[in-house]
This record gives sequence, structure tokens and C-alpha cells, in this order.
Amino acid sequence: MINGRFISRILGLLLQVIAIFLLICAAVAWGYGEEDLEAFLLSALITMASGGIMMLFGRKAPQKFSIRDGYFIVSATWVLWSLAGTLPFLLGGYQMSFSAAYYECMSAFTSTGFTAMDNIDSLPHGILFWRSLMQWIGGLGIVFFTIAILPYFGGTGVHLFAAEMTGPTKDKLHPRVAITSRRIWAMYIAITLLEAALLSLGGMPLFDSFCHSLCTTATGGFSTQQAGMSVYDSAYIQYVVSIFMFVSGINFVTLYSLFSSRRRKRIQGDEVKWYTGSTLLCTLFIACALVYFSGRDWEPAFRAALFQVTSIHTSTGFTSEDLTVWPSCTWFPLVLLMISGASSGSTTGGAKCIRLLILYRAVRNEFRRIVHPNAVLPLRIGKQPIGTQTVLTVFICIFLYVGFSLFFAFLCMESGYSFVGSISYCAGCIGNTGAAFGEFGGSSCSFLSPAWKWASSFMMLVGRLEFFTILLLFTPQFWKHQ
Amino acid sequence: MKIVIAGAGAVGTHLAKLLSSENQDIILLDENPALLGTLESNFDLMTLAVSPTSVIGLEETGVAQADLFIAVTPDESQNMTACMLAANLGAKKTVARIDNQEYLMPRNRDFFARVGIHSLICPEILAAQEIISSIRMSWIRQWWEFSDGALLLLGVKIRQGAEILDKPLYELGTDIPYHLVAIKREHEMIIPGGNDMVQLNDIVYFTTTRKYIPHIREVAGKEHFPDVRNVIIMGGSRIAIRAAQQAPDYMRIKIIENDPKKSELVANAVSDKIMVINGDGRDIDLLVREGIHETDAFVALTDSSETNILACSAVKRMGVQKTVAEVENIDYIPMAESLDIGSVINKKIIAASHIYQMMLDNDVNNVKSLTFSNADVAEFTVREGDRITQKAVKDLGLPRGTTIGGLVRNGKGIMVSGDTHILPDDHVIVFCLGSSMIKKIERFFR
Repeated sequence: MINGRFISRILGLLLQVIAIFLLICAAVAWGYGEEDLEAFLLSALITMASGGIMMLFGRKAPQKFSIRDGYFIVSATWVLWSLAGTLPFLLGGYQMSFSAAYYECMSAFTSTGFTAMDNIDSLPHGILFWRSLMQWIGGLGIVFFTIAILPYFGGTGVHLFAAEMTGPTKDKLHPRVAITSRRIWAMYIAITLLEAALLSLGGMPLFDSFCHSLCTTATGGFSTQQAGMSVYDSAYIQYVVSIFMFVSGINFVTLYSLFSSRRRKRIQGDEVKWYTGSTLLCTLFIACALVYFSGRDWEPAFRAALFQVTSIHTSTGFTSEDLTVWPSCTWFPLVLLMISGASSGSTTGGAKCIRLLILYRAVRNEFRRIVHPNAVLPLRIGKQPIGTQTVLTVFICIFLYVGFSLFFAFLCMESGYSFVGSISYCAGCIGNTGAAFGEFGGSSCSFLSPAWKWASSFMMLVGRLEFFTILLLFTPQFWKHQ
Repeated sequence: MKIVIAGAGAVGTHLAKLLSSENQDIILLDENPALLGTLESNFDLMTLAVSPTSVIGLEETGVAQADLFIAVTPDESQNMTACMLAANLGAKKTVARIDNQEYLMPRNRDFFARVGIHSLICPEILAAQEIISSIRMSWIRQWWEFSDGALLLLGVKIRQGAEILDKPLYELGTDIPYHLVAIKREHEMIIPGGNDMVQLNDIVYFTTTRKYIPHIREVAGKEHFPDVRNVIIMGGSRIAIRAAQQAPDYMRIKIIENDPKKSELVANAVSDKIMVINGDGRDIDLLVREGIHETDAFVALTDSSETNILACSAVKRMGVQKTVAEVENIDYIPMAESLDIGSVINKKIIAASHIYQMMLDNDVNNVKSLTFSNADVAEFTVREGDRITQKAVKDLGLPRGTTIGGLVRNGKGIMVSGDTHILPDDHVIVFCLGSSMIKKIERFFR
């Protein structure tokens, strides 16, 4: 059975961590001398106090830790952090309902990028920074962040790591989880700072370039402008953002080994090839479509295509222009990319390239088997053989992804939304993309009913933790005493 | 410390778990991915499905940066090859698990070091040594020697009638020729203070010198126990052969083995003084015919932990004073212990604690992991200027859960009291709960 007191202690500790982030935003608000300083200080205080009470409750907990506890902690952390994240919105006096604030925070932490706010342009700096920061932390993973900074977790971090990391195989850079996560976070911070510097060199205001950089590396897609990235009509900025979105879509373990001197060839070699290939192919296709059907010049067409392909492929959800006026033949590859997502172990959502790669090879083997019934056909990614169990898990995961998307899309259509809108919105929520077509293609989803806001928050969380972690809590076996 | 362990069998897995819980960086290799299973998602370590003898595989594992390379696959030649490769790729120290006793001869040591195999361990020989030392005196549960026997550590089960029973320890006085370092009560290990009392059925660990063994025997109430002369070993395993070879001359040993072919092999391997009997060790008539009633010690070494435990339990009822059971299933050990069958040995724990000892600084020349408890005994050599030499023992502020068992000065064992000053070149024996305490204690020897 789950160890309630111990979980309470860890969750309390995690709340202290978010309180620190709230204080950082308070510092930003103070620096700009804006009125939301008070809201942030109060939020931090409430979070710290409730976290303290939870730690107090669990102070004498036995140090027993099971796999169940790991899954429960990870799920509960995401729910709790989003709850704490709503505080500045509710206390700041933005006339936001609780459901809208929760939707906003879940969308931020899961790095989805749908927003329920219509007044982004008039928001103070503190709250804008908070939205970006939530995406940035959620991008790599809340618990993953905590493992990196708190030595306290030690061996128990392994269970949490497994429950939160994305992708069918969990790779490590280093034998120890804590050091793996520290290295990856260091790289993540470096990429973010580099992009912020490049953006501000391109003429974007420093604050905006910082916020956009946080949201790009997290492949989240929040912007400091209501109109999104289309405000910045600069080729330089669009290229920079495209490149950083692409980089953030690569598996971080692979990315790290590209930079480190000792590189180990692991299975992601194939995934990177597939990811790069699909990006290039779709970019060229869409660029051609834009040239021939919309009559644009090559360079702007290529730039727009590259920006949109990387944005959708990595599930970022930035838009540089209105997609609905694009030729309709470009929508199909974009929806495919949205479902696919980028690499496992990155900040992106979607099904992940490696799963599609495994799926593709499994299907290919099946056809070969028909022609050569006695053939022995190992499924390999790179040099690594993939076991039947992994293949099965991949199929189940994709099934859940498609099944959930269709189920919610059906409900969505029942509520009166359009066919294209419903499907792309639900796939966008579950895949954490944050971009959709139809009525959801606009800059805000504030028109959703409260019930749909809660349902969307659930979809985003289930998609971010790749189904199993959250859905496990809804199975009877999880709560049984054996 | 970066440690690469090749071979995810019983020893390798046990060692990997043990070391990863001490915050070492562990990479566990095995050719067979099924053996690695879910270890990676349950313990803080990295597993790789790589052959230990693949040069490219070892390179990619990062053996060049490894501080220690441990090869513990079931195949000794594979282990030795893996160690040679690892050492040539840059591993600082290598350890290979072997079966062939010839490799352990001192004259071969230089040769192996030259080709890159720095240490060799043979779990069977270590287990055989442990068996012999535990049956040497049947009233002693566990027996260890430090500095060539200058100081002894004895574990004794306290029964009714013992002199030290139910008495606060301070009443024993300070000039006694032994030191009571630990008490094992039920499944808990206690480092006792002056007000603690020894209770019935405790296992008490004493440090003392050889001269005072009869005195310990007296205070523990064990005078009527005979010395072990007649030994029956059940199961003709490799450990049985090693144990028979290492037993002192005065012991008369019979080995009972069920398989006729194996019996013949065992008979060829041991000297004529040792009788090999082909038969089932579970057959009570056979045991009676072979003189179980005159036997002082019974050692069960078959492949089956269950058989060993039950056989020991049966012969204990027939009046054998001392039984030793090999229990390879680690989860059975606490149960075996509660059945009151005397000593329990486990090859994996013995091998793992031996390797663990190699990891510690060279100053510690002897770390013994007390089987089936989380206690460790470490022997340190004191150097000039070490923290431990600066004050009397009682003022040192040793961490809780540790005690100094005694010291060896100029080859003579000396008991330690609160007022003792430790001098350079002393060998100090420290008893601590939990192997992580050894690291804390190490600071006093710097």
C-alpha cells in the first residue's frame, strides 16, 4: 500500500521548490515596480505554509518507498504544482475563474501552450514571466528538476525518474539519476540563455526575448503577446526560434553526448535521423506548396514553412502567421507532425518519433513475414534489438493516444464544435502541442466552458505523463492492498 | 567512485545493489538483457546489455574512466579476459572471480598483475574458510581473526546459566580480558552501552585474545561443549572439497554425496583421511550408520537451500551440537536463523563483502561483513598524526553505532577502554552498524 506520510513529506518539499520560483517572479514584479508583487509574495507564502504543514505531517514517516509511491508522487506533484500556479492569477485580480486559471497553469506546466487569457498584452511583467517559467520547468519535468537540486531523493529518485521521463526507453547519461538530471539541466539552461542572447541581439526587447526563450526550449509556445510570434516580422528572429525549437526536439541525452567528448552510440541515432528527415521533407513540401499555390517568393516561403514545421513537429505551437489561409494541402502534413511529435527524452509532446519508428519497423517486419514465413526478423533501432515487450508497450501507448484523442474529440463535437477543430484541439491537448485548426486556431481558448477547461487540463496531464502514470491511478489494482 | 560490474548473476547483482545504495556510480554489464531486467528502473545504477569481453562494448561503457572493474560472470576465463581488456583500456583496478585455486598462489600474483588482473577472488575458497573457522569451536557461532590471530572476534549464543546474563554491563568491571562489542537480539544488532543487559538467546560478540577463550567459554556458560572432531558434510560441492582440504588435521571428516559419479570425483580430489560416502544425506538411517550421534558438527552444502536448512534442523534434534547450512537464497537467511540451526553461510554475501573490502582505502586491510546483519568489522592501521591518536578513546566523539573492539600493538592483542590512547602503527578493530558507518569512521584515520 502507498506510504501516505512519506508521500506527504516529499510533496511538501516539492511545494517549497515552487515557492522559490514564485519568489523569483516576485523579484521580477518588484524590479518593474508593478502592482502584482503582493500577489506573488502572498502566493509564495501560502505555498510555503501548506508545504510546511505537509512536511510536518510526514516528518516521522518510515523511509519506505515503492514503485506505486513513485507514480503517485509524480502524478500528485503535477496536480499540486498547477494548483499552486493558479495562486498569482487568482490573487492578482485578473477576473479569472478558477477553472480558467487551472487550465492556464496546466497548459503551462505540460508545455502545451493553449491559453485561456484574452488580455495578455496588458498583463504585468511578473505574471508574464510566471507563465514562461512554468513552461520552462514543466518542459523537462517538475520532478526531474527536483531530483537535480535536492540530494535528498538519492535512490528514490529512480522511481520518480521512470514515472516522469518520456519515451519508450529511459536513457541515462550517468549511472546516477541525480547527476544525469544535473547535466541535462545545465545544458537546458545553457541553451535557454544562448537563445535569449541571440533573440535580444536581433532586436527583441530583453524581457520578451527571455520569456520567448524559456518557452522555446520548453517547446511550450506561450508568448508575451496576444498575437504570438507573428508580431515579430523579422527573418532573423524566425530563423533563430526555428533552430532552437528544432534543437529542443532532439533527445537531450543524445544532444549531451554530441557535445561531450566521450560519445556513446545509443539507439537515438536512428531517431535523430528520422526526426531531421521528417522536418526537412515537410518543410520542403510546404515551401513548394506556398510557392506554387500562394505565389510567394522562395525565401519567405521556406522561412514560414520551416518555422511552422518545427513549431508543430516539436509541439511548441508558435504561429508566425494565420494557418487557416494556407493551402489546405499543407494541413495534412502538419496534423501528421502534430501527432508524431519529436524525439523521446526531449521537452516535446506527441507520440515521439522513436515510437513511430518502432511501429513502422514492426509493420514492415509483419509484411516480410508473410512473404518469408520462416524468417527470423529482429526489430532493431540502431544496433540495439528492441524486445517484443517494448514493441507491445509502444503499440499500447499509441493506441491510448489515438483512442483518447478520438474519444475526447467525439465529446467535443457533441458539445457543438467543428469536426476539424475538435480533432485537432484534442490531439493538440493530449500531444501537448498547443496548436489547432478551426475555431481553436485563434490566439485564445477562453471561450471554452468550465467543464471543457477541466477536461482539457486532464487531457494535457495524461498526455504529458504519457498515459500510464496518470491512468495507473485509476486502476483498482493500484489501490488494492496486495 | 566509478565501478563497472561485469556479470549480472547473483554476486554481480547483489554487489551492484549494495554499492549503489552507498552512492557509488555503478554500471552493470551483461550479455543477456533478460538478466538486467528492471534493475535500472528500481535502483540508482545504469545497466548495459554488452558482452564483458567486447572491446568496443567496454570502450562505449567508459571503462577507461572506471576506478574499479569487477568481473563476476560464471565463467572464470571470461572474467580474466574481461579484466585484461578493461585494464588495458584504462580501468584503475580489476577484480576477477575465479574457480581454480592454482591462480591464487602467491608466485602467480605478479604474472596476473602484469596482464592486468589485479585481484582474484574465489567465493568457494572464502566460503570454505568461513565454514572451517565457524566449526572449529562448536560453541562459537562466528569466529574471526585479526592480525594473524592476535585478536579474535567471537559470536556466542547465550543460553540459560551464563554468567553475564541479565546483568548491566558496567557490573562486569573494566579489567575484564574481553570487550563486548555487539549484541544481536532477534533481528536487530545493538552496540551496547554500560547500562544494557545481555538477555536470553542473544548472540553476543566478544573481542578477546586467544589466551582468554576458555574465560569467554566460562562467562558464556558453555563449559560442557566438546571441541569439534567428527564432522559430516552433506553434499559434495566445490565448497565441500575446499573445506575438507582446509580442515585442521585433527578433524575427521565424512562427505555424503548422492550422485555416484560426483562422489567419485570428490573422493579423487580429497586426501585419504577423508571418507566419501555415496548416499542421500536426508536418509536418517544412513546418518545413524555413519555415526551421526558421535558427530560434533554437521555441514549442509547441497545446491538446495531448503534441503540444507531442513537437514540441519533434523540433525540438531538428533543431538549434533553444531550445524552449518549453506543458504544461497538471501531472503531465507533470517528464517534460517530463527530456526536455530547454528551458522548460515552465503557465497554471495561473502564474495560481495570481500570485494567491498578491496574498495576501501588501502589502510583498511580487513573488512568483514557479518553475515545476516547489517554490521561490519573493519581493521585500520593507524598512522602518525591521525585524528584517532590525538585524544583518549572516550573523548574522541566516535559516532553512535560504532565501537572500538580492540587493538593490536606489536603483534599483541590489547583490549581498549575509555582511557586508552591509540598510538601510531596500532591496528585498530572497529565495529560498526551499517556499512555506511565505515566511511564516517575512516575520517578518524586521516
